[in-house]
Amino acid sequence: MRRMLAMLAAAAIAVGACSTSTGGTTAPSTGGGASSAPASSAPSTGAGEFDPAAIEGDLVLQGWSAGAVEAPILEKLLVQFQAAYPKIKVKFEPVAGEYPAAMAAKFSSGDVPDVFYVDSAFAPTWIDDQLLAPLDDYIAKSAVDTSQFYEGYLNAFKGPDGKIYGLPKDGNTLGMAYNTDMLTKAGVTAPPTSWEELTAAAEKLTASGVKSPMCLSSSLDRALAFIYQGGGALFNDDKTASAIESPESVAAIDAYLGFFKSGAGKRPGDLGVDWCGQALGEKKTAIIFEGGWVDPYMKDQFPDTKYAWAEMPAGKGGKATMGFTVSYSMGADSKNKDASWVLISYLTGKDGMTIWTEGGVANPSRKDVAGAPGKEILIQAADYARPWSFIPGFSKVNDAFNNAMTAAIESGGTGQSVADATKAAIDAALK
Amino acid sequence: MAVASPQTSRGTIGSERRSEMIAGYVLVAVPMIIFLIFNIGQIFYALYISLFDWGARGAKEFLGTANYTDLLGDPIFQKAITNTLYYAALVVPLQMAIGLFLAVIVNQKIRGQTFFRAAFYFPAIASSAAITVLFIFIMNPEGLFNNVRAAIGLNPIFAALGFPADQNWLLDSSTAMNSIILLNAWTTSGTMMLFYLSFLQTISKEVYEAAAIDGASWWQNFRHITFPLLAPGHYFVATVSLIGALQMFDQAIIAGGSGGEPNNALTVIVLFLYRSAIREFDFGLAAAVGIILFVIVFAFTLVQRRLFGQAPAW
Repeated sequence: MRRMLAMLAAAAIAVGACSTSTGGTTAPSTGGGASSAPASSAPSTGAGEFDPAAIEGDLVLQGWSAGAVEAPILEKLLVQFQAAYPKIKVKFEPVAGEYPAAMAAKFSSGDVPDVFYVDSAFAPTWIDDQLLAPLDDYIAKSAVDTSQFYEGYLNAFKGPDGKIYGLPKDGNTLGMAYNTDMLTKAGVTAPPTSWEELTAAAEKLTASGVKSPMCLSSSLDRALAFIYQGGGALFNDDKTASAIESPESVAAIDAYLGFFKSGAGKRPGDLGVDWCGQALGEKKTAIIFEGGWVDPYMKDQFPDTKYAWAEMPAGKGGKATMGFTVSYSMGADSKNKDASWVLISYLTGKDGMTIWTEGGVANPSRKDVAGAPGKEILIQAADYARPWSFIPGFSKVNDAFNNAMTAAIESGGTGQSVADATKAAIDAALK
Repeated sequence: MAVASPQTSRGTIGSERRSEMIAGYVLVAVPMIIFLIFNIGQIFYALYISLFDWGARGAKEFLGTANYTDLLGDPIFQKAITNTLYYAALVVPLQMAIGLFLAVIVNQKIRGQTFFRAAFYFPAIASSAAITVLFIFIMNPEGLFNNVRAAIGLNPIFAALGFPADQNWLLDSSTAMNSIILLNAWTTSGTMMLFYLSFLQTISKEVYEAAAIDGASWWQNFRHITFPLLAPGHYFVATVSLIGALQMFDQAIIAGGSGGEPNNALTVIVLFLYRSAIREFDFGLAAAVGIILFVIVFAFTLVQRRLFGQAPAW
């Protein structure tokens, strides 16, 4: 009995020692406890001010692997951040494998990085699962002017509650990349600006001996731009109902399918390539609809293929394109929220984004950042680009559309059959 | 004394046995506990999760069997089940037949026996991802397969079967799954060969010698001795092959993406599970898929036991 008491006492002392030591030594280094608590509570209760220079903490920034071109620029950006906010230490930890799979494991185990990338396609699901922290209070406290972000990019990270769950780190739109030599040879003097001109250009290209004038992806992330151009849509404005069965949407899908039927366009798989950028590079096609990611790829793989950018063609519904973006977001359970916000607001702020985009690896998501020269067409399209971000569980809708398109191209199906299959998936996802 | 000594000796044997027994149980207990927690326990945990709306974070809502009823009513999941069963129904007999054929061949005393054994087994060592990527190149419309069949003049035959010269095998929903079946029959039959080879070598030489005296032909040897005596081998290979087939995933996702393209031709059960868990963070639904797959695998294994007669002793 006495021995047990003694052991208990020893244990109690040990625990006490531990807790005092953690209290004493780790508080300053994590910047949690003592120092950041007043910092975070003071603004909310008091003056309404937020002094980023006073915040400290150790942050983990997580994203997918940046690649050989992006990595040094991200490193430079973080060095600049470190110089501006020496009290906050940031460690970039890229995920090597599949990003959503790695993040799923982190979210369910509670071991979530402080700041991380969120792809716009996943944002609605992640917001719905309450994985992300709303940034509105911080935006108000730091007086961030969100109107400086292109609306299409910012809206990708807005929840159904109207709150902002991430700020776009950069953005990309779809444009038309075309082989200048092939168009000239076919007698197409200017890149087509409408569907009619596109069809005419395709006919001229075919006549000049180009087997597949266009490389067209049958998947929704490309076809939707054409559906928007035709005046159609996937959802109604508040994303509470399907709009893919509207006559405009169906007509646009039929027009897109028409490109395949007439032989004006072929899928990358039918051209024996992985994606349309490769078809452009290998000169298997003259016109593709892709984004800024084509440029570094062409420079690296096909430096001899001459090509140029033009805006997406306009349909009955006017000009339209897709906007793809990725945010810096904060975990709902992040322990370093204040420091995380300082990092997010720097990276998505004017100075940070200028460093990030000036070399041309990415295009800015802010209107007050010019981006690299030569990227104007893709950057300016952000004015009217519509975000690739819809509803929780969207992947099933995406699968339904893509599979129905494959079936339609194979067996001569119609826009109506694609719309019906997609609507069924939308109805199920909204249920 | 005369009476007491056997009693004491019996007593010591008993206690020795008992301590041996205890030591045995203790030694078995450690791996057994690990097995129970990480294998059996997980099945029950998955069963538990499958009854909830289980997201990545936050409160879990009890749903009862709703995940199961949703799944069974989902046409895409039904398609995943039919695809998986179709795949298994073709790939298992193919793997077994090719495996047995190769095993019988390399079991002969032929020159370069080791080389052939290694060569046939080689595709099984390569990573399935690498092989699938290679296969995509081979089967693409301008790929090796279409070029070779054109070069050796097989195109009239293919044309008669309805395949044009630039058939896109993996992007056509009528040929995508069959192509993957051929791919896996090729890559996995090496492993099946290895299993059959080990069973072939358990067949006693005397049986063949007796048959030789009776003047049995090669085919009679195979038909009446090798094939029936391989019964435990058939059971083992069929079980291993079937379980692998029902869990097919990597070839499907690499060739058709997570969407199971073309037109859901490559949407299999595990791909559906992956989509529910990783893309939609719906772990409850994914666990329900896992349980349904478990039930299917379990049921098929029981049927096979019946089919191949009394299971061997292991």
